[in-house]
Amino acid sequence: MLKRRRAEALAAAMPPLLVAAERVASTVAQGVHGRRRVGPGDSFWQFRPYQPGDSTQRIDWRQTGKGQNVFIREHEWDAAQTAWLWRDGSASMDYSSATALPTKRERAEILLLALASLLSRAGERVALVGGGDPPAAGRVSLGRIAMTLERQPLADGLPPLADLPRSAELVLISDFLGPLPDIDRVVRFFAQRALHGHLLQVLDPAEIRLPFTGRVRFIGPEAEGETLVPRVESIRQAYLERLAAQQDGLAAIARSAGWSYGVHTTDRPPQTALLSLYTALGAPPRIQDRAGSPLC
Amino acid sequence: MLTLGPLVFAQPLYLTALAILPVIYWLLRVTPPAPRRMRFPATRLLMDLLAREETPARTPWWLLVLRLLLAAMVIVALARPLVNPSTDFPGSGPIILVVDNGWASAADWPARRTFMDGVVDRAERQGRRILVMATAHAPSGEPPQVSALLRPAEARAHLEALSPQPWATDRAAALAALDHLAVDGAAHAIWVADGLGDGAATELARRLQQLGSAEVVVANDDGPLLVKPPSLDGSALTVTVERLRATSERTVTVRALAADGRLLARQPALLGEEDLAGQALITLPAELRNEVARLDVEGHVSAGATALLDDRWRRRPVGLVSATAQTAAQPLLADTHYVQRALEPFSELRTGGILDLLDGGIAVLILPDVGQLNADETAAIEAFVAGGGVLVRFAGPLMAVHPDDLVPVRLRLGDRTLSGALSWTEPMPLAPFEPGTPFADLPVPPDVLIGRQVLAEPSLDLSDKTWARLLDGTPLVTAERRGGETGGWVVLVHVTAGPDWSNLPLSGLFVEMLRRMVALSGGLPAGAAAADAGALEPVATLDGFARLETPPPTVAPLLPEDLAQPTIGPAHPPGYYGSEDARRAVNLGSTIPALQPMDAMPGGVAVSGLRQTRELNLMPWLMAAALALMIADLVISLVLRRSMPLPLRMRTGAALAVVLAAWPGIDGARADDDFALTAANDTYLAYVITGDAAVDETSRAGLESLSLVLRSRTAVETAGALGVDIATDELAFFPLLYWPVTDAQAPLSGQTIDRLNAYLSFGGTIVFDTRDQGIGGGIGGGIGSINALRQLTAGLDIPELTPVPPEHVLTKAFYLMQDFPGRYAGGEVWVETTEEHINDGVSSVIIGSNDWAAAWATDAAGQPIYAVVPGGERQREMAYRFGVNLVMYALTGNYKADQVHVPAILERLGQ
Repeated sequence: MLKRRRAEALAAAMPPLLVAAERVASTVAQGVHGRRRVGPGDSFWQFRPYQPGDSTQRIDWRQTGKGQNVFIREHEWDAAQTAWLWRDGSASMDYSSATALPTKRERAEILLLALASLLSRAGERVALVGGGDPPAAGRVSLGRIAMTLERQPLADGLPPLADLPRSAELVLISDFLGPLPDIDRVVRFFAQRALHGHLLQVLDPAEIRLPFTGRVRFIGPEAEGETLVPRVESIRQAYLERLAAQQDGLAAIARSAGWSYGVHTTDRPPQTALLSLYTALGAPPRIQDRAGSPLC
Repeated sequence: MLTLGPLVFAQPLYLTALAILPVIYWLLRVTPPAPRRMRFPATRLLMDLLAREETPARTPWWLLVLRLLLAAMVIVALARPLVNPSTDFPGSGPIILVVDNGWASAADWPARRTFMDGVVDRAERQGRRILVMATAHAPSGEPPQVSALLRPAEARAHLEALSPQPWATDRAAALAALDHLAVDGAAHAIWVADGLGDGAATELARRLQQLGSAEVVVANDDGPLLVKPPSLDGSALTVTVERLRATSERTVTVRALAADGRLLARQPALLGEEDLAGQALITLPAELRNEVARLDVEGHVSAGATALLDDRWRRRPVGLVSATAQTAAQPLLADTHYVQRALEPFSELRTGGILDLLDGGIAVLILPDVGQLNADETAAIEAFVAGGGVLVRFAGPLMAVHPDDLVPVRLRLGDRTLSGALSWTEPMPLAPFEPGTPFADLPVPPDVLIGRQVLAEPSLDLSDKTWARLLDGTPLVTAERRGGETGGWVVLVHVTAGPDWSNLPLSGLFVEMLRRMVALSGGLPAGAAAADAGALEPVATLDGFARLETPPPTVAPLLPEDLAQPTIGPAHPPGYYGSEDARRAVNLGSTIPALQPMDAMPGGVAVSGLRQTRELNLMPWLMAAALALMIADLVISLVLRRSMPLPLRMRTGAALAVVLAAWPGIDGARADDDFALTAANDTYLAYVITGDAAVDETSRAGLESLSLVLRSRTAVETAGALGVDIATDELAFFPLLYWPVTDAQAPLSGQTIDRLNAYLSFGGTIVFDTRDQGIGGGIGGGIGSINALRQLTAGLDIPELTPVPPEHVLTKAFYLMQDFPGRYAGGEVWVETTEEHINDGVSSVIIGSNDWAAAWATDAAGQPIYAVVPGGERQREMAYRFGVNLVMYALTGNYKADQVHVPAILERLGQ
């Protein structure tokens, strides 16, 4: 539960996050997004004269007493947005290049929980992709998500292709070091269901800079095999080029689906990544002209 | 064997392995170090990335050097390098190891063992068998024997079992044992000798030489030490230490030990450069000296250097019957004075009445001319003498008139006067002492003259009983043994103990004679019955290392006639003989007249010292060094492979710096000093800081203004108020402690209670103020503040309390007053019940409830802060007066109490 507390402390610095209201239209659940029309909700919308068939309980007696007609109080229809969150739970995330740095998995989970906290404070409903629980709002759901994260076994490096409700927000946090076609397939699957998604790539500084020297045998944590590099210095440039190609590919995938894409390294404070997610979720869907936000 | 200066390789063949070092070098260079292994998530991106340059990884040169050094060390170690190697023994037959294991070899036995082990090592290297012979008799009494032909391992076990014996060697027997020895080839004999000579030493060396070749090894120091049984010289034990050879000046330390091993005294004995013997004078108080059971030489363990002491060396307490009371006034005229002066330096002398002395346990009773003895005294003395005591009597005018039976010979009535106004005869000198008497060898000074004496009736045995005579043959000292062989002596000196009848008491002879007479008792064991019964059973015997142990079954009882000069051997080792109660010490030192060095050895027999430079085997050291290098190599390999982080040291240093910076000691001590200086330089009225800010401020203000009142009205000059934390501050500076009780105060810790109790017991006074106007029901009640007070003071030494009586000093210490109002009036004030004279009559605890501090308290402008209840300036004034009385009482004590009696005294004076 320490992780959850840290996540909430992180989220406390920002106002509650209201997912952009335009996406709300087709969702049916109640929430705080005013629909500018009459419906179930908390805030006052209008008075209208009583019509037969209306429940007498809905009569606003104070307004009725002011004049001759009997009035009914009507409220604005509120609707809540649903956000589906996912973080990579694979073995490759359990990596940190220095003892002072958190592992990628730890950082991803903190970001996810902070995001969930922000959303539930705004009354939005959050759920984990593949978590098994239906979307829910409030602190209880936050706790449930935290516990699910603790319990969840090491999962595959990609989110399950679950049949999610349409027009929800989807946040995927991973190191996205797997083959690009696999990632593309997943993004396409969700984009076809009209989900609006965000890709956040969490990387360790060592993965960005490859700071090693000498003769090193590298071992992949997910059975990718191992490779012996006689002099790491000599292949550093080639590696950086490959990493850039991977990130370009990711950005292209996100752009084609109209999603956003961001990169976060674990030696940077998590607030920057959270802020970029916050703005991405809070903003109206972008015109698809950007490859992704700059490194943050 | 390969020799390189002092270094020798026992297995030089191994050194050829050094030739493979270049091969090792080549192999190490070719094999690259193992790569670091690293788990890396982005390995997929690294796959089949081809390096643009490929240089072969090399082992660093310094690691190469380290590993080559390691290999070289192991090879050299296997070749068994030796420093200072010993030479080979001549001959081809067995090695004959002859070991002197008499008492004289015990002191340096470890060195002998080391030497013998070295001999066995060398014999092993040459592959020769060993014959071992010990020259002392075994404890079972067997004479020396030559062992069978032993392998080196067996010889080591044999030598391990060998130990020095507490008797001398028997080389003649050893010689006999060698007679039947036949060896194959030319043997080499090594005789580890103790350096003591007996008749057969040269012969033994010659016999050994005949078997092949021989060498003799003798300790090249000044040989074994011998401690002679001490002589009793007055109050001191004189211990003689002898040595075999005088090589240099040497100081040995003689220790005196009690029976239980306690060290009683250490005394150095100096043996000069030329001296073969030195003496240590051990002076001890009589009680301690009687406890001395053993004398030995520090750091020199052997039966010869140990002397056991028995009862003979005990100082016998001597009882001197003091004659009459007037002796103290004129000591020079008293008979006892001369005896006292003669015996005091040598004996433990007690004076007193006869029965008292006998009850106290004495060995010798000296009875000057004290007149008639009553029946009780006579009986007691007879029993004493029959039990082995010695009675020494002096004649005198009283005895001449009233002779009794406690004399060795019948006396004639009256005395004989040799010189006098009506006498023709001159005072007579003494005849030389006859042999056979205790005084036998004492010289007779010609100026000792006897003027008067009592005379013995002539009888047949008179001459047997006479120990000293005058020149004309009349007995001067007669003695008789009473109570048979075990009984004691009755000795009569036929003159007075003072100079009235003769000048004998003024002479040195008197002192000597008295000492001999006192020694009569010393010569007798307390229970000499055992000696009579026949042989003395062994009680405890010494082993070769001078440890007292239960006698082995082979020890035979000692016949009484042998006691003077026993034959020390397996049958009679040195030790204690007799019974537990009456044991006689048999010492090796007393049986050896003088230490004799060995005779010259026959030609061709090499004589060498015991301590030779021992060869040093370098193999274990080299192996250990190689192992250390191997561990270092392992660590280095791990570090190279995995870049082991080593920032621990820096972190530890930082943590240490933080701890040091946070150390609280220095500042705390300074604060304590400031507090002590402030409190000690002036008199302060102290209050207890309760933790309740309002109460503390009231206390401070109240005591400040009381201090003002005191200064303006009385001679008491207080500097003001000072808050005290009773848990930490030193309380000793304050005569008075004002303690307002609040409900919120935590119970006191044990340490604080101890501090407060100490404060109260050293004269401090605590004023408890419950500040509740007595509504808690007073001391007896159980509500509110009283309850808090009770909890607070649990554990304090609070005496029995009583309400202030009308005559109490508090009512008149400065002002006369009978009630003590504060902010409230009417609450009772309790003080200690008993006005004892401890603590100057000041009650250590005063308990009230009137909230005095609130009544005293004024603000900065001098205006009272709190209204008094029921009110009125008079009540506030009375509160101040109580404060003045309280401080006066605490400072001056009960001196005002004395004023109670002034009217009565004045009245009496006026009359």
